[in-house]
Amino acid sequence: MKKLYTITIALLFLGAGCSDFGEDINVNPNLPNQASGTQLIAQAQLSLAGLSSSTQGEFLAQYLAETQYVGLSLYPQQSTSFYGWYQGPLMDLEAVLTAEELNGNDGPVANQIAVAKILKAYYYWNITDRWGDVPYSGALQGEGNFIPAYDTQQAIYQDLFLQLKAAVDMMESGSISNDIIYGGNMDKWRKLANSIRMLMALRLSQVDPTTAETEFNLAMADGVMESNADNLVFQHLAEEDNQNYWYGQVVNQNREWWALTEGLVAEMLPVDDPRLPVYGNPSRDTDQYVGLLFGEEDNIGTDAFSLLGDAIYAQDAAVQLVTYAQILFAMAEAATAEKGWIPGDPATYYDMAIEQSIIQWTGSSDGVNEFLLQPGIAFDPSRALEQIATQRWVHLFMHGYEAWSEWRRTGYPDNMVLPKGVEVPTRLSYPDNEVFLNAANYEAAVQRQFGGEDSVYGEIWWDQ
Amino acid sequence: MRNILLTCIAVFSAVAALGQTITGTVSDTSGTPLPGVTVVVDGTNRGTTTDFDGNFSIAADPGEVLLFSYLGMSTKAVTVGSGTNLQVVLQEDSTQLDEVVVTALGITRDKRSLGYATQEVAGENLNLANEQNVLGSLAGRVAGVQVTGASGASMGGTQKIKIRGVNSIGGGDQPLLVVDGTPISNANFSGSAGSDYGNLGQDVNPADIESVNVLKGPAASALYGIRGQFGVIMITTKKGRKGPRAIDIQFSSSVSMESTYNFIPLQNMYGGGTSQSFSQLPNGDPYVAMGVDESWGPRMDGTPVRQVFSFYPQDPEYGQLTPFVPHPTNVEDYYNTGVTYNNSLTIMGGNENTSIRLSVNDTRIEGVVPNTFLDRNNVGLSASLDLSPKVSVSSNVNYARNNGQRPGQGSEWGAGYMVQWFQRNVDMDRLRNYKYDDGTFLHWNLRNPSSVTGEISNFRPLYWNNPYFEVYENTSTDLRDRFFGDVGVTYKVLPGLEVSGFVRTDMYIQNLESRTAFGGKSTPAYSIGKYQNKEFNYEFLAQYKKTWGEFSLDASLGGNIYDRNYSYVSQSTNGGLSSPGFYNIDASIDRPTTSSYLLEKQIRSLYSLASLGFMDTYFIDASIRNDNSSALPKENSSYWYPSVSGSMVFSQPLDWEPLSFGKIRASYARAGSDLSPYQTNTVFGVGTVYDGINTLYVPDALNNPNIKPSFSNSFEAGLELSFFRNRIGFDFTYYNQKNKNQIISLDVSGASGFGSSIINAGLIENSGWELSVNANPVKSNIFQWDFTFNINKNNSEVVELAPGIDVYTYGSTTYSSVTSYLNSYVGKPFGSLVGQAFMRDEATGMKLLGDDNMPLYTDATHDFGSVLPDFNGGIQNNFKIGPVGIAAMIDFQSGGQFFSRSKMLSVRTGQDAITVATNDNGMNVRDPVADGGGVKVTGISQSTGEEVTAYVDARSYYNNVLGRRIYEEWLYDASYVKLREVRVQYDFQDRLMDRLPFKTMSLAVFARNPMMIWQKAPTGIDPSEISTGSQSISWFESGQLPSVRSLGVNLNITF
Repeated sequence: MKKLYTITIALLFLGAGCSDFGEDINVNPNLPNQASGTQLIAQAQLSLAGLSSSTQGEFLAQYLAETQYVGLSLYPQQSTSFYGWYQGPLMDLEAVLTAEELNGNDGPVANQIAVAKILKAYYYWNITDRWGDVPYSGALQGEGNFIPAYDTQQAIYQDLFLQLKAAVDMMESGSISNDIIYGGNMDKWRKLANSIRMLMALRLSQVDPTTAETEFNLAMADGVMESNADNLVFQHLAEEDNQNYWYGQVVNQNREWWALTEGLVAEMLPVDDPRLPVYGNPSRDTDQYVGLLFGEEDNIGTDAFSLLGDAIYAQDAAVQLVTYAQILFAMAEAATAEKGWIPGDPATYYDMAIEQSIIQWTGSSDGVNEFLLQPGIAFDPSRALEQIATQRWVHLFMHGYEAWSEWRRTGYPDNMVLPKGVEVPTRLSYPDNEVFLNAANYEAAVQRQFGGEDSVYGEIWWDQ
Repeated sequence: MRNILLTCIAVFSAVAALGQTITGTVSDTSGTPLPGVTVVVDGTNRGTTTDFDGNFSIAADPGEVLLFSYLGMSTKAVTVGSGTNLQVVLQEDSTQLDEVVVTALGITRDKRSLGYATQEVAGENLNLANEQNVLGSLAGRVAGVQVTGASGASMGGTQKIKIRGVNSIGGGDQPLLVVDGTPISNANFSGSAGSDYGNLGQDVNPADIESVNVLKGPAASALYGIRGQFGVIMITTKKGRKGPRAIDIQFSSSVSMESTYNFIPLQNMYGGGTSQSFSQLPNGDPYVAMGVDESWGPRMDGTPVRQVFSFYPQDPEYGQLTPFVPHPTNVEDYYNTGVTYNNSLTIMGGNENTSIRLSVNDTRIEGVVPNTFLDRNNVGLSASLDLSPKVSVSSNVNYARNNGQRPGQGSEWGAGYMVQWFQRNVDMDRLRNYKYDDGTFLHWNLRNPSSVTGEISNFRPLYWNNPYFEVYENTSTDLRDRFFGDVGVTYKVLPGLEVSGFVRTDMYIQNLESRTAFGGKSTPAYSIGKYQNKEFNYEFLAQYKKTWGEFSLDASLGGNIYDRNYSYVSQSTNGGLSSPGFYNIDASIDRPTTSSYLLEKQIRSLYSLASLGFMDTYFIDASIRNDNSSALPKENSSYWYPSVSGSMVFSQPLDWEPLSFGKIRASYARAGSDLSPYQTNTVFGVGTVYDGINTLYVPDALNNPNIKPSFSNSFEAGLELSFFRNRIGFDFTYYNQKNKNQIISLDVSGASGFGSSIINAGLIENSGWELSVNANPVKSNIFQWDFTFNINKNNSEVVELAPGIDVYTYGSTTYSSVTSYLNSYVGKPFGSLVGQAFMRDEATGMKLLGDDNMPLYTDATHDFGSVLPDFNGGIQNNFKIGPVGIAAMIDFQSGGQFFSRSKMLSVRTGQDAITVATNDNGMNVRDPVADGGGVKVTGISQSTGEEVTAYVDARSYYNNVLGRRIYEEWLYDASYVKLREVRVQYDFQDRLMDRLPFKTMSLAVFARNPMMIWQKAPTGIDPSEISTGSQSISWFESGQLPSVRSLGVNLNITF
């Protein structure tokens, strides 16, 4: 019996020591538990190209038509998730903006925060323009709010103007490290913030011209882009980890699934547009530039039509997101007689915009002068908005979502095709998962904006 | 006279030494002769059975022991003396159902004393047809157990097991596997597609299994704590025997042939392409649209055309036109006949204080998919030695090695694509020689030839490799070395008190390697990974047994330290390989992707169990356990949980003749649970490196520093009845289990910044019943029949999730931008399949049609109902006719459903037979609608509200609407009845055996998966094999490997 006691005591002793595992046993040795602000910002910058590189955007703007497996270009009713933007770059930026402390060794803390604010505003601008009302003020709070409400687009725009202004105002001298986009150059970030603000202001030209004009002028006064060197560009690298989306599709996966649309080629070929050889390759059959009718299902293929240009799908291609030419087109529009927001001759801005676009795409100004004299291209004040908007569409090639937003706002280009009679969508449908995971807020937002139907044909606030 | 007597004695002795013949009669206590009683001479292979009048005759020497055994009777031993005629009376055995069962922690208990359900299966029944995966062989054999397997083509593919339905919201509710007291890992390295490496539990050698005991509810497994909360599968291996010195050597050899069956019926009228007319080369020759991986092309009417091989200059038919004809069996032709060789040798022996068993097993499988194999070796050693009457030591050591080169399965992997995306005109015999002499590979899916030159300049395949290239060049190999076992010492301190200590371990190294070759559709690549797991359990147990008068006590006190260390290093090349044939990380063109990982977890536990019995009739058990988990936050790391159960053997006081045994039982248990390590602290993810800039990110999964252990509460009650000397027995159980505040990774709105969060949430309730019937309807010395029937029904309900969240997304799958989900909704059964459905008119339920007469569809939010079956079970029949034994195993499932992407795609790509159906105009649906062709569609026009009957273009209908967007069309009921195993065995009899140097010999013919007797799903999809790798709930099928039937012979010899 004595032995039994000994054993019992020994066991109890063992039990008493049970909860002491050592401090570190449940600390993950495989991942860092700290991150510097600029490393998080750099990660958020890696997602920038994704704002543009998507087949959906190219179909919405009708830049590209499908050469095989025609489906997405027929504008099916389907939901598109925005979760990736929140869980990815926005949350990384939020971690910077809510950090208890940031390390000044990576550059002035104020500048780190300013850059995070600008990027956050840019992502949100893209999101709200696609879906309409989206979670904003209650979003990105993790366990603090798993069911964030949807803010109205109007409220989001108002706050984004403030945030961009605040970001510019807080900047100090000194650059930040780990900056993939501008190499830490805060002056370029300042110009970017003001340029985004200007383009956002223009977006409100129909729904709220007063605010639009005011914000446009304020942004311009604060200093917008002054050359293509100021552009927001995501430069891919010639390696698998950082390669162009289109390279992965066309080269890695062998998908020659996209040809230039008939509409695009019709716009460019007759006027001998110097950008056309960059945008597309000549047809392998005929060695000519041939567009494919958007949504065509029967007479399709890869040899008879102009496929994506070599430079477009190059592994290390650059993705142009916010560009000097866009700013110039915006100024041209603002200077038109209809708007008259800013002084100056719209023709000057228009010509400069086209010139800068051609330089951006071809690397030289060769052919600019001839092009500007082409009939239909030469500025005609009576068709000012149509010309500006159509040329902006040509310029925004491969940044389909932005071009589609401008089409929704202006109605140009006016050559959009209705595949099988199906209208071009006017927004993206909310993610299916919101019905499961955030039902009450989702339903409220759908009810408020679209009378209860979450369709791709709802009209968002600025597109009323 | 005296001399004569002496002489007689001498002669008699001599005769006796040669073996005298003992005769006699066996009867029961009432004097009724018993036919079919087994009579054996102990320790020999001499044996016989009594005839119809209970008579027997057997050769035995004086001093030898005759054993008389009969079901329902106590075995009687009679030592042969001088008499040669014996009258043997067998007593009815009221305690025979008190089989001894191995319960939690290896504690052996009388089954009659247990207050909860356990069900035992004998090893010989599991090993009827050489099933190599012990979990797979449990299908249908245990009430309350659902097994979902993988096709035999995967060779050791995943077998999943669920006990009493889904008990975890996350679906991760696999039971714990315990071999001789050692918990072993049943991990899985497969994803939902690719090579299916199978569950690691298959490292147990089936030939070593003495019995498997399934502990179903937490009451049974409470003593295993966390890891036993979803039930425990206790495997006891065969051991040597202590006693008179004896040696047994057994040799078993089997060979089986595997062949494929059950293919989706495909059409043989239209070949590859998207239009019914051929494209033409510049010279006017028509050619097959080899850029298209669909069969919506021209009619295969024998038109001479340029087929893909005619564009390879190396090909003997280069430039030639060949007839465009169907190859009706091109998918079937791809598969080989597989062969499995299995040889095993077992040596068992022992003496007064030692026992030992050594087994060696070698299995070689050549798969039905070309160039696939699995080699498996097992070595098992178990030994025990009594150092003194009080102290004994024992050890079990198992080694297993698996070396495989396995086929891919699942969406777009391996050869499964051929029913999904293919051309009906492709000749598999042509593809088999996939490499030309100059090293060029022959593929079937290339860019169309140039309309200028008429040649193909780029021979890189577009979307699909030649399936032979896939298996011969893009190989994927795996190798696992594994040890598990224990060493232990037992000390009998006092009479009735025994203490023991064990060190138990399970360790393995899993190597995975895969190659993507030059010359295929994908960038060449190489990846290699090494995964190492070490688990130790240090165990202490004191057991005390005591009986006073009518009372008996069985008490245990134990402690356990569990320590797991897991690590891996895996690397893969990036951006291509530097030179063909050089497969190494060094060959990576860009910076290779590498990852390394370390994990440690400990659980320290204390537990105690007491069982009190009265009059061998009333029993009460209680247990309590404390766990301390290193994976929980410190303040919540320790937790206690109890169980209590009781039973009463009412047949004892009742004493009613026909009732041999009757018992009622009830139990209540609580079991606690923790989580995987490293989910309580904030971490950052490591992102892509951009030009020297290292990025970090906030992970999608939100960790939780406040997580608490979760508990399940279960109640069960059961009734066991056995009648007519145990000729028929029933075991019925009702159970109810509530799993509350589970630690789950709950999907949350991504707008929160996270995709999921680790939280304590939810209440999931399972209730159901199980019935097993054992019967022995015929029993005579020439014919015996016994059967076991199992059935169970489980109902689950998700009662609550988290505040504000009433949907849990378990999984989703997206194809062509269309997603379907497996969700759980509050107030509904677990696991609803959710996807795009037909939009229907509310009043009539008819389909709504668009202006183009195509059916309209909903968002991917339509709930199609639960994927879990209503009930499932199995029947095993064993017949013995003289020396011939026949065993057959059938399992069945009713209800449940799944989504079949293979079927959907076979229709979308114009391969499925329905795409060439004849419509009610008598025209082929592919004929132009204007000519009376087209698919007939009936519904209500959404815009006019009128009922519409129309014909629509088949390709638009199947390719872009039905086969792409409407998942409702591709849901199938998972009900089936399957003949799993059949075995016919002949035991060679005395006369032949006398001439052979063997003790026993038997020869058997067996079949595994010989046929699907009935299934509700269409031909070509096996609802019992919709396992998708390691996904713990099977809810969609894609690229399933074909069913495989195995037929073989097996020879068993004992020396």
